[in-house]
Formats: sequence, structure tokens, C-alpha cells
Amino acid sequence: MEPTAVGANRTGATLAPRQVEQMLEAVSELSPLIPINMLPLDMERQAYINEAESVGSIPQPQNKRAQQSAVMSLFLDKLGERIAFERTGTRLYDALITKYLALANVENAAAGQGAEEGSRPYDVATLRQIREQELNHFLLLSKCVQKLGGDPTAQTPCADVTATASIGLMQVVTDPRTTLAQCLNTVLTAELTDNAGWEMLGELATQAGQPEMAEQFTAALETEAEHLITIRNWLQSLLAGAAGSVAV
Amino acid sequence: MTIDLLRDRGTPISQQRLNWRDMVGKPISKLDDDAFTRVRIILMNGVELDSLRTKQVALRMNRDARVKLSELMRVEQHQATTINWLLGADHSPIETTIGYEQTAIEVTASVAQLEPDPYLAQGYRFALLEDFDHLYRYSALLDRLEGKDANNITQGYTDIVPGRPTLVHHRAPEHELLKPYERDAKLATKLHALTLTGGEYQTHDYYMNIGPIFADPLARQLYAEIASVESQHITHYGSMLNPEESVLEKLLLTEACEVWNYAGCVAQESNPRVKRIWERFLDFELGHFQLALQLFKDTERRDAEEVLGDGKLPKFIQFKSQREFVKQTVEREVALRKDATEFVDEQSEGASSLEYRKAVNAHGSPSTTVSETYSWTPGTELMRAAS
Repeated sequence: MEPTAVGANRTGATLAPRQVEQMLEAVSELSPLIPINMLPLDMERQAYINEAESVGSIPQPQNKRAQQSAVMSLFLDKLGERIAFERTGTRLYDALITKYLALANVENAAAGQGAEEGSRPYDVATLRQIREQELNHFLLLSKCVQKLGGDPTAQTPCADVTATASIGLMQVVTDPRTTLAQCLNTVLTAELTDNAGWEMLGELATQAGQPEMAEQFTAALETEAEHLITIRNWLQSLLAGAAGSVAV
Repeated sequence: MTIDLLRDRGTPISQQRLNWRDMVGKPISKLDDDAFTRVRIILMNGVELDSLRTKQVALRMNRDARVKLSELMRVEQHQATTINWLLGADHSPIETTIGYEQTAIEVTASVAQLEPDPYLAQGYRFALLEDFDHLYRYSALLDRLEGKDANNITQGYTDIVPGRPTLVHHRAPEHELLKPYERDAKLATKLHALTLTGGEYQTHDYYMNIGPIFADPLARQLYAEIASVESQHITHYGSMLNPEESVLEKLLLTEACEVWNYAGCVAQESNPRVKRIWERFLDFELGHFQLALQLFKDTERRDAEEVLGDGKLPKFIQFKSQREFVKQTVEREVALRKDATEFVDEQSEGASSLEYRKAVNAHGSPSTTVSETYSWTPGTELMRAAS
């Protein structure tokens, strides 16, 4: 584990001015600058979009008497999305806890066992609590889907799409080289999305005639709002006060 | 250190053990390591995978050698893993692709200058101009799809401009072949052809695996198009290999090829941790070579000198920017085409290639569409908006 520091980063063009000059000479000779035209590229993409099929279908409710309407189908699809998000979110916090504990071990060893967890803005208990709340949200959503005659184990189209969007989040948090601050920054993305997601799900519940669920989702949103504040404050405090440390 | 293939013993195969932690070590830094460290990693992964491929074929064709081949393959599998896993997860698939094309360009350009057979040297220069063009097309995709500058990967060593346009790489199969080297060819000639064949194989296989992971239809099209060309390149280089060599002769050459390439990496590696891996694997390969040598002698009752000459290694691939050589080759040979096994001017290209090309490009050329009006600009073409 290493702090992020100034070093031999080789990616910038200004590091090799002579080489870049030669590259630009080659460009002016073999692919000189002309106005950028991406129309052919856009047209080909649009042709594919026009001909595309959907990523898949919303599962049929198992209960034949279950209410079936476009609004209810959409509601089930979005419930599936939040199920997927909360389930992956639980695993994201598992990974964040592992990262935190590794960092704490390094810091404690460096401080000769002197460092208290309380000296950090938040401790592992905070992360474990958030993780439990994410898990509870997943379980709550699963029950809601069952109540509506759906199957919480199915992967709905929105669940699939949101899982695709989340791939990068897990890649960052599970990379041994990333710092706690880099991971918190990534989890912040997840929490911002999660907050907006719960808010919209509450509205959809009302629209679908499920006021009790709408109430439960409002409560979940309040918990998620606390997660967001915790993660953002933690990140802010690291950026403000721990530059140069292994956490940043 | 001067290596003598026929005398150096290396690490005995019984002592060649790698555990999962050895295989899954720390990756290189995409940001801080020199681009040529990544080039060597990609090259050696290709060499290892081709060595495995050769042995799998040999296994199907030689009853007596089965156990020994199996032992060798187990170690080679773990060596390939150790090497390939050195690439960090922060390389997006297109960024890794840029690394693959840079490897193809810089390694082929060096080999083209080292090759003693003028006809085969022409063969290297020919395909070099095609991989050179692939780098430009993929750089356009990286910029326009991910908003990234390919030079973050290539680090100023390699020009990012068109070569022989990819849309004309599509040739009929009969025009893809080259005349093979003869059995008495110099060792350098044999090792060059093996190295490049392995490199093209891994590039082709990589594109075939990652092509479908893209959502963007243009990216999917571009990988489909260039994977097809890389498949042609496998044939192009693979047909340089002498078809009369026996299976065990090929095994011997494969092991010599690995020794030669690892020794070249040891001599030029800038990352000390990666250098230790090259040193360790060089010793492994010397051990493999001895085993292959024994199999060859016992089975074929021939002198290894017939295949290898005096056992001295040829001059190593030079891991450095080949900008000037590539530039001159573009100027002189970009218009060359193929007719059967000959290199000809544009007007004399084999007619069946024109027909084939018309068919595959019937609905346009992905490489052309994706790079329409693209000029490499430091910091991506979006920087042009600032000027």
C-alpha cells in the first residue's frame, strides 16, 4: 500500500517534446487536420439503434391474478433494478471494508499501535452499518416483488443495464492499488445514483397504487441520504486533511 | 552473459514450480512504466502461448513424447499466466489493444531490419504497414469512444497515422501465403518467423475474445474487421515456417525461440521486478530446451546443429522506437500489394482479392468510418476545439 505521490508518470505529451513534434510532423504529412466529420460514424450507429431489439424482457408475474399494466411492469422492472443495485452495493461495501481494514493495519503499524480508530472521521463500524442497511434494502425490495407476484431472483432489463453501468465501480474498489479516498470517490457515485433511484422508486410505487411501499421507500431514501452524507464527508475530510497519506 | 543453447543447462524442470501468488503478482503501472515494458510483456505472452500451441499439436502427433510435452506445457501455462497478469486492470480493452498494435509495430520493424533473407524481410515490412494502420484506426476509436489519447499508452515512441489503409488489407486466401524458409535457413530467420507468428496469434485471439464485450456497434465492427486481418497475418507469418520441419524439430525451435526472446528481454528491461521474471524464465527455458534437445536426439537420431547451427543466439529484437524505419517503409512500400506469394504494385494485385474485398466491404469499411477525418492530436481531438 502506497500513498499517491508525484513520480515518473510517463503519459503526458509534454514529457517528450521532440517525439511529439515528430508525431505531429507525421500527422501533417499523412493525416493532415481537416474539419472533423463524424456523420458517417453517427449514421452507422443510428442504423444499428433503429434495428436493435431490447436487451430482454420483464419477467411475467408468477401470480396470474397479479395486477398487470404498463405501469406495474415498469414498477417491477425498476424494483429489479434496485434489487440488483442494493445487492451489488452490499458487495461494494464488503470490498470497501476490506480496503479500510488493510489501511487501518498499515496506519496502526506505522503509529506503533498508537492510532485509535476514533482518530479517523469514521470507523469500520460505520461501514458495516451501511453494509447491513444496503442488505436490508435488498431484502425489503425482494419482499415487495414477491408481494406483487414477481420473482425477485429474476434479472430484469433495468437490473441488467444498471449492473453493466456498475462494472467499473467494483473494478476500482477491488483493485489492491487504489486508495481509500479513490474508493470513497467511487462509492460516492454509487450513493448519488442510489439516492436518485430510491426517490424515483417511491414515486413509481405511488403511481402503481402501492402507498405502503411508497412509505417504506421514503424511509429507505432517508437512510440512503445519510449514507451519501457520510461518504461525502469522509472523502472531504481525507482530501482536506490527509494529502500525502496512504489513505489518499 | 553469452548463452550457448547447446551447453547451458538452465533450471531443471523438476524445480520449475510457480504458486498462484507467483503467477498473480503486482501488475505494472500503466502510468509510470515505460511503454516498452508493456511491449515485452505482450510479446512474451504471445511467445509463450505459441509455444503451448506447438506442443499441443506435437502431443497429437508423437506417442513417445507425450509425457515430456505434458510436463513442459504445465510450466509454460504458468509462465504465460505470470506474464499476462502483469497487465493492470486499469487498461481498458482498447488501451490494451493500443499496446498490442504498438508491440506489433515496434517488434516487426526491428525484426524486418534483423532478417537476413531479403524476401522474408519484405514480408515483415509488408505486414508492418498494416499493423501500423491498425494503430491509427484503434486510436481513433479510443479517442471517439472513450475520450482517451492513445499516446498515453504509446508514450511518444510510435507515430499514430495511417499506413496501408485497413480497407485494402482484405485479400483472398491464396494471396496471403509466402514462400517458406528452407530447412538450412539461418537460425535468426527461423526464430523471427516463429516470434511473429505467435504474436499475431495472440493478437487475433485477443480481438476475438474482446470484440463482443463492446456495446458500441462501430467498435464491434472494427474488432471484427481487424481480427480478420490478424487471422490473415497468422497465415502470412505462419506460411514463412518450413513445412518440411519435423514436429520435434519445431519443438526444438520453439524452445530456442523462447530462450532467445527472454534473453533479449533480460538485456533490455528497465523495470527491475519484471527483469527478475525474465531472468527466472530464461533459466526455465534453458531447462526446457535441454529436454527438447534430448527428445530430438533420442527420437530423430540427428544432430541439433543441423537445426540450430552453432548454438549461438542471433542478435536480439531491439526494444526502441523504430520511427525512422517505419516512416521510410511507409514512404516506399505503402502501395505494395500481394499476388500469390509475390509482392507487387497496386495494379498487379491478385484479381480474386479485389473481388473478395468488394464483398466484405459491401456495406462500408468500419476502419474507414471510425477514423473519418481523424488526426491524432495530443490530448485527444477534442483539444482542437480549444485552438
